[in-house]
Amino acid sequence: MLIGPATVFVTLGLLVPIVILFRYSLNDFKAGVMMVEALTLKQYALFFTDPYFIAAFYRTLRVALIVTLLCIVLAYPLAYTLARTQSRWKNLLIMLIVLPLFVGNAVRAAGWMTLFGNKGFINVALQWLGLIDHPVRIMFTEPAVIVGILAVNLPYVVLTIQSVIEGIERAVEEAAFSLGAGPWTMFRRVMLPLATPGFVAGAIFCFILTMNAYATPVLLGGPQFVMMGPLVYTQFAVKSNWPLGAAVAFILMSATLVLTAGANLLVQRRYRR
Amino acid sequence: MARLALQQLSKQFASNIAVRDVTLDVGDGEFIVLLGPSGCGKTTTLRMIAGFVTPSSGTVRLDDRDITNLPPWKRNAGMVFQSYALFPHLTVAENVAFGLEMRRSTADIPSRVAEALRMVRLGGLEGRLPRQLSGGQQQRVALARALVIRPDVLLLDEPLSNLDAKLRETVRVEIRELQRQLGITTVMVTHDQEEALMMADRLVVMSNGEVRQVGTQRELYERPADRFVAMFVGRSNSLSGKIVGPGRFETAGGLRIACHEGAIGPAVLALRPERLALGAMAADCVNRLPGTVEFVSYLGASIDLHVRISPTDRVVVCQPNRADVRLPVEGDRIEVGWPADAAMVFAQETAPVPN
Amino acid sequence: MAAPLAWPSSAAVLGRTCGRWLFTGAAGGVLVLILLPLIFVVWLSFFRQEIPSFPPDGYSLRWFRAIWTNPKFADGFAMSLQVAVVAMLAGLLLGVPAALCIARFRFAGREVLNNLLLLPIVVPGIVLGTAIYVFHVELQGFFSEVTILGSIGGLVAGHILLVIPWSVRLVTASLAGFDRSVEEAALSLGATPVRAFFRITLPIIRPGIVASALFGFVVSFGNLEMTLFLVGAGRTTLPIAILQYLEWKIDPTIAAVSVVQIALIGTAMAITNRFVRLSRVV
Repeated sequence: MLIGPATVFVTLGLLVPIVILFRYSLNDFKAGVMMVEALTLKQYALFFTDPYFIAAFYRTLRVALIVTLLCIVLAYPLAYTLARTQSRWKNLLIMLIVLPLFVGNAVRAAGWMTLFGNKGFINVALQWLGLIDHPVRIMFTEPAVIVGILAVNLPYVVLTIQSVIEGIERAVEEAAFSLGAGPWTMFRRVMLPLATPGFVAGAIFCFILTMNAYATPVLLGGPQFVMMGPLVYTQFAVKSNWPLGAAVAFILMSATLVLTAGANLLVQRRYRR
Repeated sequence: MARLALQQLSKQFASNIAVRDVTLDVGDGEFIVLLGPSGCGKTTTLRMIAGFVTPSSGTVRLDDRDITNLPPWKRNAGMVFQSYALFPHLTVAENVAFGLEMRRSTADIPSRVAEALRMVRLGGLEGRLPRQLSGGQQQRVALARALVIRPDVLLLDEPLSNLDAKLRETVRVEIRELQRQLGITTVMVTHDQEEALMMADRLVVMSNGEVRQVGTQRELYERPADRFVAMFVGRSNSLSGKIVGPGRFETAGGLRIACHEGAIGPAVLALRPERLALGAMAADCVNRLPGTVEFVSYLGASIDLHVRISPTDRVVVCQPNRADVRLPVEGDRIEVGWPADAAMVFAQETAPVPN
Repeated sequence: MAAPLAWPSSAAVLGRTCGRWLFTGAAGGVLVLILLPLIFVVWLSFFRQEIPSFPPDGYSLRWFRAIWTNPKFADGFAMSLQVAVVAMLAGLLLGVPAALCIARFRFAGREVLNNLLLLPIVVPGIVLGTAIYVFHVELQGFFSEVTILGSIGGLVAGHILLVIPWSVRLVTASLAGFDRSVEEAALSLGATPVRAFFRITLPIIRPGIVASALFGFVVSFGNLEMTLFLVGAGRTTLPIAILQYLEWKIDPTIAAVSVVQIALIGTAMAITNRFVRLSRVV
């Protein structure tokens, strides 16, 4: 069969490793000898009793929710404009949105670092305008991380919503207008229900991406601003605590899956036709 | 050119019988039209002839060869698809040449392609891509591509349904003339009865996977085998009721009507609108019923009058439009009549009837 | 008569124009937000002074030369390029037939297989990296004579995993709008299924294959999270080199490296765009 090799590859390369990872998370860890074969939930218990880890968990959740909300609101105007434009520059606009997507998060973080630093563009501009006397700290704060991740995720969400809006006939909007609905009513009563699949897909994608963000929190949040993604890496590669690293990875994956599945279910129930 | 014979051809998809026991002989050079509502099995039948669907039972013969299990690429059947199915990445000339290349008859490809394109009046468009052509032009490329391989049988799957009404009229005549001139055995599928009546030598009326009747236009119209054919080919008024005695029919609305044939029991009476007479013209008819004109539509060559003859029965009467006759208007009371032989009686049946 | 009628309608027109302006302005603002970091990276790469402060003292191209004096960037670039090309080719080889299979045949478990093949996009990079890392640890235990842990082979295998879902997704998408009667037409004209595939189907879905090659290449080239775990001691890829440099400092050199990467990817996209409108595949 044509599909065989790919299936075998993905099963061996992805499913089996995840099972092994789960097995690792049930092992015990002893300083010096590292991993000890065991069947225990100790690592999970450790995670949920340590304030440092709990703080990282909540921080990640909070950032993910804020970014997702902002992303959906901000993406709509651009997505709609792109979907409905007749301009011959449309293709170029799409390229401009796709390009940052491909350039890599570290590079984009570098751009934000240029803006956010104490001698960065924002501080210099504010001082020049006389709005502040001393540089404000922007780097290594939560807003910096949120803006950074927001800019990373926006292209995905814009393109997702745009493709759904393109599938909605322009005539449907015109029908709503001709029946006396204003732009806002049209959005609420026609566009929103029809484009819900796009909004949901975009939001879920955005949420998953933020929960698992790595480069942006590391570079814009600094060593003190610990989110779950970097935490997994630190436990694994720096502390060599494989069982705990595996458990953190599993908690991260489960939290992401459970929350997205829950949101999906909720929305589906509300918009069932 | 060849004779095509289908013998008890059936196709079953899972538990659904799409085609049941279709037997049909198509003579050399004959133009056969499979006519029926969507889902009646006509397309599946055509696809079994083309080789895209393997029959569950029965045989397909071309002359004396059994081609039932031959793959499509060995059948030499030219097919025109509803969507035309032109190869979007190939030019018009390359599209037409494709079948010849597959036959490795490389020698005279350019001249045969040119000839085929001239035949469908597309000379000069050889280098265009399909998307640069109008719908009518695409349709003709599809036709040229199917004809250039000199197929034993030409198969047309609703070839005109994507054209606008005006164009359709002219293309019908073109295809028919081309087919006659080449003398090519042809099977066409359509749900448009007007198209079918215009183009066919003989028609095959299908419904629910079965053949209802095979015959010429005249046979189908004047002697429909059953109520379905009577309703599907041409127009009919239908009055349901029962046969209460020899030659006596009573409608559900209580009208008593004289008719010719029919066994006692529930039945349907079908009347062609143009066989009904009105007023003085109805004086000699066996059946005369008083009625009220409820609706008049002026169609140019003729006029349709919708006349209520009982609280539950209304008939359409089609009158030729003559300058010297005063037309009834809505609300007029008028007598409707018809000779006994105008009424076709069919047994009541459960099969769905087209509207 | 005319004035009292005209007044409210012109107010409505004014309101609507303002609304439209606001909406388009918001759209433009979001576009700027997306592009802003790239604009600043490009700007910084031309600064004359080393410390990124505003306004710049002047402009210079010397940082682009400085890239090649840092072996980490040159090596990382070479490594990323090699891995991405191999992973892209192997991923297409595995993914395209699978996509054909999924798009064409109805079989039991088709949906499950489709979702399985798309899974590597959904599983977070960090989790994927840790999982594959421990898998390599276990494999190493079984086959002690070959190096698996931290090997280039292991890295490439991980990257193939990233390419497969993109090729499956884009090729099935390009087959979804495909009129099957086009293939049937080829068959009825005498083409065998194999010839029909190579002469008709393959050319028609070529845009989808080109797009998945691009996406596969770019996704592999830019991958950071999974690669962190698999890269092995003493080796680096471009994204890792950039990350590690940025954890230390930001200066025009790293900006120049970024510009090279932006230019490379922009070129790849522009080339792909000639084959297939990106606005249709993304």
